[in-house]
Amino acid sequence: MKLNKCFKHAFNMVLHSKLRSWLTITGIVIGVAAVIAIVSIGDGMQQTLNAQLNALGGDIVTISPGFERGGGMFFMRGGGGGGGGSSAPQATTKAIVLGRSDLQALKGLPDIALIDTNIRGSVNISYLGKTGKVSVTGVDQKVWSQITTIAIKDGRMLDSADQNVIVIEGGLASSYFSQPIGINKMVTINGGSFRVVGILDDSGTAVYMPIQMAYQVIPDKTVDIYDTLVVKIKDQNQLDEVITKIQNKLMTARHVTQNKMDFSVTSRKEMQQARAATMSSMSNFLLAIAAVSLIVGSIGIANTMFTSVLEKTKEIGIMKAIGARNPDILLIFLFNAGFIGLVGGIIGIILGTMLSGFMPALMGGGLPMTRGGTIVTLNSIIMALSVSVIVGILAGLIPAYQASKLKPVDALRYE
Amino acid sequence: MMETIMELQDVWKIYRMGEVEVPALKGISVEIKKGDFVAIIGASGSGKSTMMNLIGCLDIPSRGRIYLKSQDISTLSESDLASFRGKTIGFIFQQYNLIQSMSAFENVMLPLEFLEYNDKDAANRAREILTLVGLSDKMHYRPTQLSGGQQQRVSIARSLASNPEIILADEPTGALDSVTGREVLDMLHRLWEEQGKTIIMVTHDLNLAKYAHTTIELKDGQIMRISENNEVNKK
Ligand SMILES: Nc1ncnc2c1ncn2[C@@H]1O[C@H](COP(=O)(O)OP(=O)(O)OP(=O)(O)O)[C@@H](O)[C@H]1O
Ligand SMILES: [Mg+2]
Repeated sequence: MKLNKCFKHAFNMVLHSKLRSWLTITGIVIGVAAVIAIVSIGDGMQQTLNAQLNALGGDIVTISPGFERGGGMFFMRGGGGGGGGSSAPQATTKAIVLGRSDLQALKGLPDIALIDTNIRGSVNISYLGKTGKVSVTGVDQKVWSQITTIAIKDGRMLDSADQNVIVIEGGLASSYFSQPIGINKMVTINGGSFRVVGILDDSGTAVYMPIQMAYQVIPDKTVDIYDTLVVKIKDQNQLDEVITKIQNKLMTARHVTQNKMDFSVTSRKEMQQARAATMSSMSNFLLAIAAVSLIVGSIGIANTMFTSVLEKTKEIGIMKAIGARNPDILLIFLFNAGFIGLVGGIIGIILGTMLSGFMPALMGGGLPMTRGGTIVTLNSIIMALSVSVIVGILAGLIPAYQASKLKPVDALRYE
Repeated sequence: MMETIMELQDVWKIYRMGEVEVPALKGISVEIKKGDFVAIIGASGSGKSTMMNLIGCLDIPSRGRIYLKSQDISTLSESDLASFRGKTIGFIFQQYNLIQSMSAFENVMLPLEFLEYNDKDAANRAREILTLVGLSDKMHYRPTQLSGGQQQRVSIARSLASNPEIILADEPTGALDSVTGREVLDMLHRLWEEQGKTIIMVTHDLNLAKYAHTTIELKDGQIMRISENNEVNKK
């Protein structure tokens, strides 16, 4: 029998047992929809991460004093984000710090474009009689504006001639105090008076000031000791090589070996990669769950096909008596199963695509990475479609083979 | 005389039911001539259907050889045998055995599809034969929408579709009343007479056996007697 005829008979078989076919198709639909929706989250996260990586400076490297313990690197948060006030880690015997000599060592590296020196601490701030506690970062005002990844919303960045001025983050300006803080307003920080010259375009509450002022304002800081060094490298594509060079240079300068490295060099890329790894292991886990439902669906196909072969035993006998060869019967049943898989796959993709739109909302925004939305890629559609057809055919393989091997006499006698 | 179209040589069929062996056919040897009208008769359980299944290549003998058009069928692969069967033998069953989900027309088309006729030839052929059996106005009826006699005529049409040399009929009138049964038999008779088909029919009705030229009588899986009725002749 020609292939198109086999397909026609398979198609008719599906049509003539509508309810059972649809129930089986539903099983596949659920599996495929789940896979599509979950893969779309994964792809969405991936895209968000890539976008963040590019936007947030893949060329920025942060060096912090820190030490390795039990395999895990302890490191401080990188600058620019304006986090809470953390203090430099203290070794038991001697404080491990970054200082002038480290800065000098780094300046000798030709791959580095800019170096920003940071100190950070928590301070009391008051404005129009109200007070609060915020984080202050002292930055090298000559380079900070070129290294920070946050854009200015109002006013200007810090300038090399600046003294008693600060740039504040958007959240502090707009909603921290009952009155918004505007450009050129005066705020009091740990007793000192500062004029706001710039407001950043974000929602944080941190304050940035020239590092020389910060040494005076933040308690317990020593001049020329830095909490972090933030480095901008010349060629983003050389990131990994430059990180190695920085490590080697600092190890020499600080007289430490690889095993006793008392500082850490991190890049945004590494942090993003760590987040990406977490995200991908989570989405793999979800994918596994979705795959289980696809497997259940395929067992449904197998079950339907077995029932169908049983039900059609007599017809198989008739067909064999009037000239059907074994491969004809095999193909008719395989096409039947594959067809169920295909229809299930197509409906599943449509449903999954719709579902993926709701997915971030369903997950309650608890996943920061789903902010970027979900993406159903052509890849995942092709994957889902071929998987569902293959799954259908595999599930139909044994029943179809059984059908094709039926002896005509036995099949004809079956009632 | 005429050439032999089918030959059974010392054919045995033994059914195994657990420990018990049931010999249904015990050493059948017979030659069937091309263009003959053969009736196989015998009491219930004498092995008529078993013999029919072997002649129709639907089953294989436990022992002995079967030749169809001088071809030892035990040497053919399952698929080759299926195609050979489709081309050479048309089946008519007691219970019609039409495919319920298909129309009369589609049922008649089916054997031609298995033989990979092109669509146009197959459709023409199906129409031609359905007209021949007098169902030109009911071609697109489903079996359930047809009477028993009409269904049997569809199944005759199906058996003729690929223009086989041999028509095998197992109790073709068994489910029909005597008038319709006679009509069906007349039709078989005409096929024999006018188209030169070899007809092999199983029946337990001795009146129907009178239509046949050769009668093979079975008893307990053995041939009792082979008789020729020379009054039945092609006109
Ligand atoms: N599949 C089978 N398994 C076991 N025994 C069988 C099988 N088919 C037939 N037999 C036995 O073989 C013998 C012949 O059966 P067969 O069907 O050929 O008889 P028959 O002449 O066609 O009878 P009837 O006129 O009732 O149709 C019987 O004894 C029957 O019980
Ligand atoms: Mg019988």
